[in-house]
Amino acid sequence: MPTLLSRRLPGQDARPSGPNARRRTELGLLILSALIIVAAYVLAAAGTTAKIPGDLGPFLAIVIGLALAAHIANRLYAPDANPVLLPLVSLLNGLGYVMIARIGPPHFATAQAGWTAVGVGAYIVTLIVVRRTRDLDRYRYLLLLAAVVLMLSPLIPHVGSSVSTVDSTVKLWVRIGPISGQPVELAKLALCIFFASYFAEKRELLSVPTYRLGNRLILDPRPLGPILLAWGFAMLVLGAERDIGFALLIFVLFISMLWLATGRSLYVIVGLILFAVGALVASHLFSQVDARVENWLHPWSRVNLVGGSDQLVQGIYGLGTGGLTGTGLGFGLLGYIPEVNSDYIFAAFGTEMGLLGTTLIVFSFVLIVGAGLRIAQTARSEFAKLLAAGLTVIIGLQAFFIMAGIVRLLPLTGITLPFMAYGGSSLVANYILIALLMRVSDEGERAIVAAQATATPVASSAGGPSG
Amino acid sequence: MARRIRWLGIGMVLCFFLLFLQLNNIQVVKAHQYATAAGNPVVQRALYDKPRGVIQSADGKILAQSVRAPKSSIYQYKRVYPEQWATLFSGVVGVDSINLGNYGVEESYNQYLVAHSRPVTSIKDLLTTSPPITDTVTLTISSRLQQDARNALAGRAGAVVAINPSTGAILALYANPTFDPNPLASLSGATENKAFKADTTNFLGYTPFTSLAYQDATRFGPGSTFKTVTTAAAYDRAPQLVNTPVPSFGPIPSGHFQGQTQPLANDAGGQCGGTIAIMLPESCDTGYAILGTEIGAPSMTAEADGFGFNQQPPIDLPHNSRTQISDFLQPNCYQNAQVFLAYSSIGQKCTTASPLQMAMVASAFADNGTLMTPHVMAQIRDSDGNLVTQYKPTAWKQATSAATAAAVTNLMKEVVTAGTATGVGFLPQDDVAAKTGTAQAGVGNTSVNGWMIAFAPASHPVIAIAVVVPTKVTNLGATVAGPVVKAMIEAALSGP
Repeated sequence: MPTLLSRRLPGQDARPSGPNARRRTELGLLILSALIIVAAYVLAAAGTTAKIPGDLGPFLAIVIGLALAAHIANRLYAPDANPVLLPLVSLLNGLGYVMIARIGPPHFATAQAGWTAVGVGAYIVTLIVVRRTRDLDRYRYLLLLAAVVLMLSPLIPHVGSSVSTVDSTVKLWVRIGPISGQPVELAKLALCIFFASYFAEKRELLSVPTYRLGNRLILDPRPLGPILLAWGFAMLVLGAERDIGFALLIFVLFISMLWLATGRSLYVIVGLILFAVGALVASHLFSQVDARVENWLHPWSRVNLVGGSDQLVQGIYGLGTGGLTGTGLGFGLLGYIPEVNSDYIFAAFGTEMGLLGTTLIVFSFVLIVGAGLRIAQTARSEFAKLLAAGLTVIIGLQAFFIMAGIVRLLPLTGITLPFMAYGGSSLVANYILIALLMRVSDEGERAIVAAQATATPVASSAGGPSG
Repeated sequence: MARRIRWLGIGMVLCFFLLFLQLNNIQVVKAHQYATAAGNPVVQRALYDKPRGVIQSADGKILAQSVRAPKSSIYQYKRVYPEQWATLFSGVVGVDSINLGNYGVEESYNQYLVAHSRPVTSIKDLLTTSPPITDTVTLTISSRLQQDARNALAGRAGAVVAINPSTGAILALYANPTFDPNPLASLSGATENKAFKADTTNFLGYTPFTSLAYQDATRFGPGSTFKTVTTAAAYDRAPQLVNTPVPSFGPIPSGHFQGQTQPLANDAGGQCGGTIAIMLPESCDTGYAILGTEIGAPSMTAEADGFGFNQQPPIDLPHNSRTQISDFLQPNCYQNAQVFLAYSSIGQKCTTASPLQMAMVASAFADNGTLMTPHVMAQIRDSDGNLVTQYKPTAWKQATSAATAAAVTNLMKEVVTAGTATGVGFLPQDDVAAKTGTAQAGVGNTSVNGWMIAFAPASHPVIAIAVVVPTKVTNLGATVAGPVVKAMIEAALSGP
């Protein structure tokens, strides 16, 4: 690893300085986030049991230990990467854990702590295994295959299962032995990589009219074939599993990546029309979709119906009860909000931490989106740019959809709030997602430094980055 | 692509900005509204963290009170209806249920019963905070008369409503079947819902949760007791008919009335007719049917409206049904079918009434034609014993003139001394005025509703009463409802 001094290049002051400075920033922010988490943990425990939690020592050790592990991995394998992503993620993850522990039951908190460890492990492994983004580019079709298998797995008898008490036709889960998970969480990453890779390669074909129809040139429709196939398949599978949230997420991901790659607004328009048709068909085919729209439009009159708006209304009551400053951690009445520790954890924060707490969460996601898109801007290749932007769209929109659903900005879709909601597969997948963003960031920053090094002869003699 | 990534960023930040705006809307602008909404569990729960006021009978029996909830409960207090009075008073007191809401007095006087802050009476009160207080609601109904009503019904389906005619105070209001409010206030959703389901399921042909006394106005035709209203209509709106004899009939043959397809026979059989003075005591169906058609639909409807028909009774109990006579002016009863007016004038077909409505009819005759607003609340005192509010008797309507009331009263006394109620055995010193009724009911007239309305003493009435007992077709109102009325009047006149 290059020394700190070797990176102090003249004329570089305008940019964030060398890797060690970035990692120092990261460490500082991580310590800050750990302090906030521990403070919240103490307050929540004091609020519910009126005493300082007995397991404060171990808790502190785990929070700091996991953050440190990821931080050291960054120092070793992605030294130039963005310094704010990991602290933001650690903050959200930690606060989410505090809330899950406060709501209970205790085995949920234990499981979530375990999954956090697995998630951080997956993060480190991803950084080690994926040393260059173009490695991912090479396995494009393998990843597509993986996505297909993952998405189909809940439909396999005995393996697939439903956790929904409301609607047993919702099939998102697989259960193998004691371990169960939502494979679509991982599939979204594989699909994103595939889209990025395919769009980057076929970009020209997709954006420049080359196909002759009569005496006019139009866009060659052929490259769209596999992509529409992949997309249609994804929609079909998700429709069969009744998972509207992820179907929507992957659809928007697909459209926005296609637009990013080609700049043709035609795709967006066609996409919107497809979406409108899809929504119409879905609301006729699946009573669940129809009910969600009805609940969204008329929440107050549908409280007592089966599949009605009780969850939505209870969430809004919770947010309203929280008001500006909240009831205080541990003091809210959360037992009436269905799924309060998974899909509806945002409402729990709104109740106990008020608008201040919800704003903290919303702005954390805005900062993550900002960092992600910045990484996309500095990425080295078309593929890396598309990948980073796509990953950012996933995490940003996933957070937006569930929060907007809870505050009745959009119909409610049952997807998890990244890093905060209870659930292992979501946590692990999102840690991998962040690791990939960090990889793109590290590569991009290193390329910039290298470019500046070659442009500045003095610097090159000091030993440039190995890149 | 850099430009497009920037646009993507702008788009996503805009999304989050909208989210932030909506959060402000919910958590700041509308926060108070949501935080205090009735459906908010925080609000509901807070109600059960404080005691709720007592409801007691006129003679001081505690009918509803709050007790400390068991330790295992998430609530501090629990509503309890003492076993002795629970089913006896549930039709009036109602229930305070966390899952089902409030009914009866628990609903109509909820604002006094919930814990509230002490009213400010001095500057010191303004500057200090005191613990919340609850008020005690005292009813006009005494446990004694209410029990007499239950005993007189003796387990049969039916209803008893007694009113003090000069004040409108309800003296008894009991219906069988009835329900036990305690399971509905158990604080357990499963228990409450199960009990509610049972209480809204058929029992004795009726649903216990719907009081036959005042919540089911369309179930019973008042039968011949309604002839008192027809009589009043003649005095008030067609005086020339009062002393004009109506032709005597056995059954009125089919086709006599426009639209009549079956003969209209007298309930007691035989032939009758003549003037009102002859027809009311013996309850002549054919004569009153003809009389009603001669008075005409508009006058009959207007007279009935004066006694409160076709309107919500203004009683201080929620969920009371509209009592309706006649849709005389509605197409289904009026068009092509004079026969419907004929039947409605003897309390059948289009005429239906709750026992509360018929008790109000009796009370109007008893109180010189004035119909007082019926009420169950006597007074409300706070926990220090200070009077919060007291019911001030108010007239609702002048149903008829004092002269007409006096004339009808005389005829109703004759019902007891020489008419259809002679067999009941009213004590002469009680000076009872009454009218019997036996309304045909059921498919193909397979059963009857036995009715009696009465008041006593006729010279200065202290109780007006209506009783209905659905019974088999061979019985008469005088034989099934009569003894109930007699027992109630004797209990009321024998003093407390």
